[in-house]
Amino acid sequence: MSSGHEYPHESTGVETRKLGMWVFLSTEVLFFGTLITTFLLFKGRNFPGIKLTDVYDIPFTSISSFILLMSSLTMVLAHNALENEDQEKTRVWLLATAMLGAIFLAGQIYEFTEFYHKGFELSTNIFSSTFYVLTGFHGLHVFIGVVFLIALWAIGQRQQGLSLDRGIILNS
Amino acid sequence: MSTDHKEHPTPKKYVQIAIVLGVLTALEVTLYYLEDLVGVFTDSLLIFLAVGKYVIVVGWFMHLRFENKMVNRFFAGGMILALILFAIVMLERGMANFFYS
Amino acid sequence: MTKIIEPDKRTNIFRRPSSEYGFWSWVTTVDHKKIGIMYGYAAFFFLLVGGLEALILRIQLAQPDSSFLSAAEYNAMFTMHGTTMVFLAIMPISAAFFNYLLPLQIGARDVAFPRLNALSFWLWVAGGLFLYSTFIFGTAGAPEGGYLAEEVGWLGNAPSGGWFGYQPNAGFKYSPGTAMDYWAIGLQILGISSLVSAFNFIVTILNMRTKGMRLMRMPVFTWMTFAVAFLLAFSLPIIAIALFYVTFDRQFGTSFFLTEGGGDPILWQHLFWLFGHPEVYILILPAFGIVSEILPTFSRKPLFGYAAIVFAGFGIAFVGFGVWAHHMFASAISPVAQAGFGLSTMVIAVPTGVKIFNWLGTIWGGKLNLKTPMLFALGFIGMFVIGGLSGVTHSIVPADTQQTDTYYIVAHFHYVLFGGALFGIFGGLYYWFPKVWGKMYNETLGQIHFWLMTIGMNLTFGPMHWLGLQGQVRRTWVYAEETNLGFWNLIVTIGAFILGLSIIVFMANWIYSKRKGEKAPFDPWDARTIEWTIPSPTPVWNFSKAPDIKSLDDFWHAKYDEDEEGRAVRKDTADALLLELEEEGLNPKEVIELPNPSYFPIILAFGLPFLGYAVIYRSISLALAGIVLLLVGSFGWAIEPLEEEFSMKEEEE
Repeated sequence: MSSGHEYPHESTGVETRKLGMWVFLSTEVLFFGTLITTFLLFKGRNFPGIKLTDVYDIPFTSISSFILLMSSLTMVLAHNALENEDQEKTRVWLLATAMLGAIFLAGQIYEFTEFYHKGFELSTNIFSSTFYVLTGFHGLHVFIGVVFLIALWAIGQRQQGLSLDRGIILNS
Repeated sequence: MSTDHKEHPTPKKYVQIAIVLGVLTALEVTLYYLEDLVGVFTDSLLIFLAVGKYVIVVGWFMHLRFENKMVNRFFAGGMILALILFAIVMLERGMANFFYS
Repeated sequence: MTKIIEPDKRTNIFRRPSSEYGFWSWVTTVDHKKIGIMYGYAAFFFLLVGGLEALILRIQLAQPDSSFLSAAEYNAMFTMHGTTMVFLAIMPISAAFFNYLLPLQIGARDVAFPRLNALSFWLWVAGGLFLYSTFIFGTAGAPEGGYLAEEVGWLGNAPSGGWFGYQPNAGFKYSPGTAMDYWAIGLQILGISSLVSAFNFIVTILNMRTKGMRLMRMPVFTWMTFAVAFLLAFSLPIIAIALFYVTFDRQFGTSFFLTEGGGDPILWQHLFWLFGHPEVYILILPAFGIVSEILPTFSRKPLFGYAAIVFAGFGIAFVGFGVWAHHMFASAISPVAQAGFGLSTMVIAVPTGVKIFNWLGTIWGGKLNLKTPMLFALGFIGMFVIGGLSGVTHSIVPADTQQTDTYYIVAHFHYVLFGGALFGIFGGLYYWFPKVWGKMYNETLGQIHFWLMTIGMNLTFGPMHWLGLQGQVRRTWVYAEETNLGFWNLIVTIGAFILGLSIIVFMANWIYSKRKGEKAPFDPWDARTIEWTIPSPTPVWNFSKAPDIKSLDDFWHAKYDEDEEGRAVRKDTADALLLELEEEGLNPKEVIELPNPSYFPIILAFGLPFLGYAVIYRSISLALAGIVLLLVGSFGWAIEPLEEEFSMKEEEE
């Protein structure tokens, strides 16, 4: 965008890209809201076939959920490191976040394979469909996140570095 | 070029918040095991805890609490809209089942 | 003094494209004006296609017991007509206006995210082409025991579930071919396109305003763009999920909307109309904005009640989220819901009425200049009020149960969409023609277009009111002789062809005026808003230097003072000011940096249709191709240098 000094860049005082991201996030609320509403509407419609309560493993899921939650800690630590312009630390925490996310996904794949073998699959009943679509979209978001995090880590290594203002500082 | 250099929590603060989140998760798991005791309230309590974690992550980790008011209102607006619209859909389906089934 | 464009010559693999002119400059452009023009032409093309589909429908309905089309073909035609007009004609023509005008009206050089803007456009092209590829690759399929597949010519190999795709009719059991998948996936891609542009416009309006352009000094068209962006942002995610559910039901064995699997077809209706109702406000608000620009200029008076019009616009947007189930009065929703939504539907007439009265107040006592844009704006008010009144009659639930699914409803929405949105759009096309092309359109042809279109429109959609009340049902491919509906249906068809003729007049005017039109001054209408302070046609850099806004209608106040009775008196300095603006506008003194073009938006955009085909034909290789395009597109985009920008320098000779 123009860096003409005569152009006031941010009429609201909020950085443009940050504002864009928050606008996008508020629409994600409606996206997942629809999925969750469907889940709540179809909860308990376990006919025909297996119930989720027959196949799940709460201890396993709790640990995996905890791991994902901790990845949000490592993410803010990465952001913090970048603010202090510590490239090395930033990359470490980015990689940690990606790893935790990947472990979560691996856990989810394992769990879903188990469910599938026990007969709880996408088309078993309406509740199972809703369950898989909801957790599936969530998993897709995590997957894309992991890919982008690893990409940032890799690019941060090979190019000059990362920066809060400019994203990637290219070798040039 | 960032025009806003808001205060950010320190790494120590972040870890403390993460511990709080961990505790809330542990509470949720405990609730599952205590389901027979808690009965009908299980679902609402679980949702309450989940919402609590959501607010903490969005507010502190994603820094919304410290941002410009307008951004806060925008996000809150989206949430309130979602809550109202989906509450109406669920109410309507519930009532239709009552009237017509 | 010549202008030199010097793209930065850094050589790395991500060097950005640098063409200024020619084919590649259009493919890689991120310039909001070029994007607006591309939207405009492509959308107009689809308007013609949708119009052709309508004429085909009308030929079938011109006489009772007609067999010009089979039932399957008829269903495909009305589905494609509706889908095309909503998603591929009206929405993108509005997008053309938003794209071209928004930065100009707020004094900016471009939108907040220029490459994202290009992405919106190419996603829209990809989605539109994907949807229409149904005619080449799609199959209608014959449901067991349903009407016969062998009657379906290529015209029938298209989605036939209506533009609203009600389940289970549009599900795999009753629409077993691939056509409805083209519909669901095509709409998905189109939805993403609009969602992305919504983010862009919201951030642009919030952050890219020039000095002094406070929110309450923005033109009404900008405000309406803002409202539309909110509507898009919050309604599209809902239908995105609903469309995923449809695709999953059709392709992957789920039963979200199928009762035999425990699902709920009414859920589809809720989710669709949660989007669908805000959608119709998305269709009309841009026209509200355009008309709010035209009326003051051609009445030589300020807009009556600027604040009221702005707040009413947001009132409509907000309440518009709360009326969706009025499309479902005859579905099995609870009586409590019927009452509630009937009430909210009546409420939404209030802010709409506020706007109408304010527009009338603007015209009242003004010195009217009845040029073509003004004729369309006045026609808009008349036609939209008629459509709005029939709309209010739908809000009375018992009455609506008689009206619903008849031609009375068809009359309503065509009055508001054709007489409303499209009239507003034509008004805008004539109004801003000189700014975009630097030439004046032919006024005589414009007038002929207007009158033919008004006569045609009323002949086409007027009789539908009583046809509906007499019992002609929607979406039915034939009616019997005994119903006595033949006479007025014939009139309707004749009216439709008159509409076609009026469009031809418009196209002739456009083509002629672009070539041979009189050269336009940059302020031909003596207008009020700042897009008229820059040269016609608009230079690529928009404003030579950022305007400094002192009030609402800043340009007008620079040209006119008010006497004691509030009448406008032209300032002595006005002419000198115009000359100065012209001189300055064509010769920027400073180095102006513009956002660079990019290859990656179009690359990313075309990844999605590949994924779409992959789902329909279960092809791993197509899926991989799509994913590769998405990855290349997004990584290239993220990595390509931001800093290199065009410099426009003056070369001192």
